[in-house]
Amino acid sequence: MITPQVVQPRNIESELIKLWESLSKEKLRACLFNLMVVNQLSPRTSYIREIVQKVSEKYPCRVLFITVDSDTKKEGLTTAISVVGSGNIACDYIDIVASQSELGKVPFVILPHLVPDLPILMLWTEDPSIDHPLFTSLSKLAHRIIFDSESAASLLAFSQKVLSIKKSTDTADLNWARIEGWRDLITSLFHSGRDPNQIQYMHITYNARETEVFCHTKVQSFYLLAWVASCLGWKLQQASQACDFTFEGRSAKLEKTEWEELGSGMITAVYIETEDGVSFDMSRIHCEPHHVMIKTSSKEKCEMPYPFVLGKTATGQSLVKEIITKGTSTHYLNTLTAILALDRGGIC
Amino acid sequence: MYEKCRLEEPGRMRRNIDPCILVIFGATGDLTGRKLLPAIYNLGRDGTLPANFACVGFARREKTHEQFREELKGDINQHSRTKPIDEGFWHHFQEQIYYHQSEFDSDEGYEKLALFLKQIDNRYATRGNRVFYLSVQPKFFPIIIEQLKKHGLVYNVHEVEDRWSRVIIEKPFGHDSQSAAALQGEISKHLDESQIYRIDHYLGKETVQNILVFRFANAIFESLWNYKHVDHVQITVAEDIGIGTRGHFFEEQGLLRDIVQNHVMQLLSLMAMEPPVSLSADAIRDEKVKVVKSIRPLSEEDLKETVIRGQYGKGFIHGEPARGYREEQDVDPNSKIETYLALRLFIDNWRWAGVPFYLRGGKRLPKKGTEIAVIFKDAPGVLFNMHGKKNDPNVLVIRIQPDEGISMKINCKVPGPSSPIQPVKMDFRYGSYFGQSPPEAYERLIWDCISGDSTLFARVDEVEQSWAIYTPILQYWSIHPPTDFPSYPSGSWGPKKADELMEKENRAWRLL
Repeated sequence: MITPQVVQPRNIESELIKLWESLSKEKLRACLFNLMVVNQLSPRTSYIREIVQKVSEKYPCRVLFITVDSDTKKEGLTTAISVVGSGNIACDYIDIVASQSELGKVPFVILPHLVPDLPILMLWTEDPSIDHPLFTSLSKLAHRIIFDSESAASLLAFSQKVLSIKKSTDTADLNWARIEGWRDLITSLFHSGRDPNQIQYMHITYNARETEVFCHTKVQSFYLLAWVASCLGWKLQQASQACDFTFEGRSAKLEKTEWEELGSGMITAVYIETEDGVSFDMSRIHCEPHHVMIKTSSKEKCEMPYPFVLGKTATGQSLVKEIITKGTSTHYLNTLTAILALDRGGIC
Repeated sequence: MYEKCRLEEPGRMRRNIDPCILVIFGATGDLTGRKLLPAIYNLGRDGTLPANFACVGFARREKTHEQFREELKGDINQHSRTKPIDEGFWHHFQEQIYYHQSEFDSDEGYEKLALFLKQIDNRYATRGNRVFYLSVQPKFFPIIIEQLKKHGLVYNVHEVEDRWSRVIIEKPFGHDSQSAAALQGEISKHLDESQIYRIDHYLGKETVQNILVFRFANAIFESLWNYKHVDHVQITVAEDIGIGTRGHFFEEQGLLRDIVQNHVMQLLSLMAMEPPVSLSADAIRDEKVKVVKSIRPLSEEDLKETVIRGQYGKGFIHGEPARGYREEQDVDPNSKIETYLALRLFIDNWRWAGVPFYLRGGKRLPKKGTEIAVIFKDAPGVLFNMHGKKNDPNVLVIRIQPDEGISMKINCKVPGPSSPIQPVKMDFRYGSYFGQSPPEAYERLIWDCISGDSTLFARVDEVEQSWAIYTPILQYWSIHPPTDFPSYPSGSWGPKKADELMEKENRAWRLL
């Protein structure tokens, strides 16, 4: 990334042209979509910048990175431009930093700089259940809003908010994308002949190691359980703060563990038992955490363990996946609906 | 008329145009300084003007030739597309520029002008050929033309054959059907239609002229250019600036008269017209008129529901606070004048049956941009529509200004094993291909008038037909004043009602 240079908002386009002219022999300017990113200035900001950079390296896009600086004593709005990308292909990066008092200006600064005819994606890194002056105005512009439920103080309120967003706007969630590998794995277990309705017990272990950036470590495991429950029509009977869940004739448990090398909140293992006595023990391999070893056993036999590749766990990969996906996943919406029941007690 | 030189090769000789004197009425006005004189300077510098040429500024203020030239030099330095001024060229060229002070209705002033022009004729061998450019308020058009005729400055085309006189009339040509007809009645007493050049500077833009080339020199697009393939068309003329110091003018005009009735309609007619039988001025203008004549008159219901006006309030432009229209200089604090207009029209002919044309123009929108967007019908969704979501329609955009060019939106498979589809843009930019900045519209139009080519000027029937569409809107508005003004903040894309107009029809305005 080229060092950002501060420019007046009205000069953004002309200064970008100059910047590209100065790079014309080294870089090719490309743009597949607009990516608006909204975040509150915090230790998380650098993490979000990192994942946005990953995305723009994979899919060149015009990044409009909006940072709300609530703590600053200096009121104002500053804009800066840069170029980001790896190799010969690169793209525009427009930074907008606004104090709380200047937030009203932000949509007016953004509007002239959206590249027409290309999709507008918005990465909303804040808790959408908390009213934010920019959410309504910017979400109107977006074709697809990508949330990060990691930011949600309450998963229940988060789910309610996302479900209330009109159907014409696509929604997605980074935490939903982060469990895609596990969803694929469980689907594949029951793909050929086994009946998923036989599932009687499910135990999900997750990495509860908190960091400066991740503190809602339960969300991914909660999503996985809610997804299974919604797909199989499980009716919740009881849920405890200790994350023990009882459904009609079935039960589930979420359990913490700590794994230093693995991302916070990531699922480390899933154990499933079926009514006919088959068990599936699926655990990440320590030396290769994006691989899972699957051990299947029944009363009669134990199968040879075999590995399954979950997908890369590197920073930004889940956003990269969500970027090119179209539409809102109906499974995701059903999962959120299931969470309305599962998280009634505010467990997550 | 002089017989054409036999040495001239058709289409190749740009310099072989008649000598003449250009007289600019309103020579101390804003347009002269910003556009007209820089255009003449650039024409001269590029060697495009006739070898025997002079320019006379006519205005009411007292001024010497030298003062006028000095002011022009400053204007050219500020507004010319080529900067700084070429001192060597200017040193000689300024000698061909003069100033004449007079009231517009003063007999004495025109008598002196006639004498002065004869002197210049003698000095520069300009042979009595005249272009009169009326860059004045419309109320002066008939007065000036009458005076020109009275003092023998414009000639009767049926009696005088060895020299010519032409009059360029700035817009607006009338403020409704009735006034346009009255103005035409007045000036046609003194001028033949072939002498009248009604200017709409949009027609002088390279990108506007390219519409015909794009449509009729490329076989692939013309076959798609009809109701079978086009879902709808959007024509946008957006400005991020407000009205500046033009408060008085805008209070009388409004956006409909300032932009839509003329510029937008020119774009519409070029975009929608049938191929002309030739590239002659009349062949092209005949086809343009046919399109405008085919526009379905607006019903009472249309006037209420599909013609949306707006006025800008306070807001932000590029992050800076911007005042509302009613706070602008020389504007009534309760003004009902529109600074935004969006409407839907249908062209009831074979080619465009049932295709809506959405037109919009506005001041204080987020960015400056003029474009024609052709939105094509959806591809059948049997194969690639995912999650119930349609793929984006193909869109062809002709960008008139700025960033002149043409782009085409197509859908493309994202590389990889799964098959997500992503809209992408193919983009042609004038600047990237042709490098140099294109000539200003006024350069082309002044040169065309001197050459006697009226293709890029509006003919009287075009103007009449356009007013026939817009006068009912003005009449409806006069009976139904707006109740929601100001209706959009500066820096936004216009009033909500305009968005609702599109939403009702499952469409949306494009972002520019």
